[in-house]
Amino acid sequence: MKAEPRTVLRFLLEYFDIIKDLFDTQTKDNIITYEVMNEITSKHKMDVKIQLLEYKIISNVAENYQFRPVFASLIEFILSEFKPMLPETIEKYHVSIGELFRKIRENINGDKVILNQRITELSNEINNFYESVEKNTLALLNETRELKANVKKVDYREKIIRASRWIDEYIIPLNKILDLNHSTSLTTKLYEVSEYTNRYRLNFDDESTRIQFEKLYFSLIQVNDNLLRQSKILTNELLPLIERIRTESIILTGWINFLKAPHKKKVPKILESKRNYIYSKDTFFNAAEFFDAFKNDVDVFIEDEEYEDEKWIFDKQLYKDKLKDNLPVTDFFKWCNKTLKEDYKKVEIEKFFALTSLAFDDDLQLEYPVKAEFDKIKINDLTLTVPKITINNHGIS
Amino acid sequence: MEYPKNHRKIVDELMNGKFILPIEQHYEVLKENEEFYADFFKVSFNYDLKFTQHYAYLVSDESAEMLSRDMCIFFALLSYELDRDGKNFLERIQYTEFELDEIENYFANSSYIDLILSNKQLKDTDARKNFINTLNRRNIVEKIGDNRILFTSAHKFFMDFAADIVKFENVNE
Repeated sequence: MKAEPRTVLRFLLEYFDIIKDLFDTQTKDNIITYEVMNEITSKHKMDVKIQLLEYKIISNVAENYQFRPVFASLIEFILSEFKPMLPETIEKYHVSIGELFRKIRENINGDKVILNQRITELSNEINNFYESVEKNTLALLNETRELKANVKKVDYREKIIRASRWIDEYIIPLNKILDLNHSTSLTTKLYEVSEYTNRYRLNFDDESTRIQFEKLYFSLIQVNDNLLRQSKILTNELLPLIERIRTESIILTGWINFLKAPHKKKVPKILESKRNYIYSKDTFFNAAEFFDAFKNDVDVFIEDEEYEDEKWIFDKQLYKDKLKDNLPVTDFFKWCNKTLKEDYKKVEIEKFFALTSLAFDDDLQLEYPVKAEFDKIKINDLTLTVPKITINNHGIS
Repeated sequence: MEYPKNHRKIVDELMNGKFILPIEQHYEVLKENEEFYADFFKVSFNYDLKFTQHYAYLVSDESAEMLSRDMCIFFALLSYELDRDGKNFLERIQYTEFELDEIENYFANSSYIDLILSNKQLKDTDARKNFINTLNRRNIVEKIGDNRILFTSAHKFFMDFAADIVKFENVNE
């Protein structure tokens, strides 16, 4: 008995929660076992098994159940929960599209009804192909993002295995199908169909066929654009993302492994930086190199400095005798200054101090006034304040 | 004989166990004269020049094994702790600056504390500071001010080592 379409749709709406649970089970296990069916219907307290079978939403597989493909696709599409398809499944369109295209070309002047039918079917196959690609890209992106977030706490080794599988079995083959630079790819085939269609949409004697070609042509423009976008998603987003997951997981697995026994593993070679010890065999050469760097090949002449004035040497005996001859000297420091001025044009302070050192001679007897008296003596620019000292006699009195 | 530009700098740095990085001017000189330098180091010192798109450095049998092991432990622990903290460790190490306090925090609270305490270069804050200076001298980290560091592309040397552990294990299995 065929169910009324609105009844089926209303049923889907009303019991969507149960249907979704059943669909999730099938996605996970590929089948809905008899026990799980009972479990889910009991959970929702609604036994809808009979209607599901009656409306041809599910079918029996031995004692178990499975969604019919058309409903599986519908629910998958509504939920946007696609399962990645193996590219081999998509590759089948290469055959169907190629075959239809070949027949169109070979029978372009044949039966117009069949020709139009082939063009329509070619258009459907191309749309189906595109949908499969889009679903697959979306499915792979979802799976990859989930693996990246690692909500399910997949361990590192499993991550490496999954990422490698997706790259090798899904992404790279899918990319080959979409590769425009590859002469045998499906995308290249579609461009070929597009060129052919373009020619006949403008130049064909039967109008209805021209219109069919026209529709196919514009549909192909859209599909080719979309395929290009999918291809970009694959190469620019999906592949780097999944490669990154794989690399990260490999490195982390390596480190965890290393940390299990860090002192037993061989480590990479790092050059030992050199320290130069004084007793090192290289020291002689290093020193030679150092001196070489400062070696000056140009002859250097050093001229002796010429002194304008000869160095003055204090003749103590001469001045001691002069002092004795002048005794008694009432003001010793004034006498020193006066004597030097008589002997030299210019009296330097060193000469003055040298002469005053006579005051410490043991042979001379110094006398000081009861109350200290001071004089000022000017030697060049320097004014010295000196005490008044009298020398009356010499020798020990 | 005429030597390439920056010859002395190239030789000095490589002989001191430094990594030369693509952002440095003399990396380009080294790249242009890769064959010459490979021969030069092989004939003069029996060292092998390893030149990659991320770094250049010298390999010899006179290896500072202890230091290399400590560096591996450092990277292993940092990668592990970053991942445990929910960070993309590879992206963090590759692209972002670290505050020394952040690294300090990871090491101080690591579950590998026994390994850390038994390691002279990593056992405490001061030792770790010195260790980071060593990494800086080798061009493995760049110091930004007193309290921040950035890992240079030389960190890939250690990441490649970690990846090789898994590869070789799989081969041996």
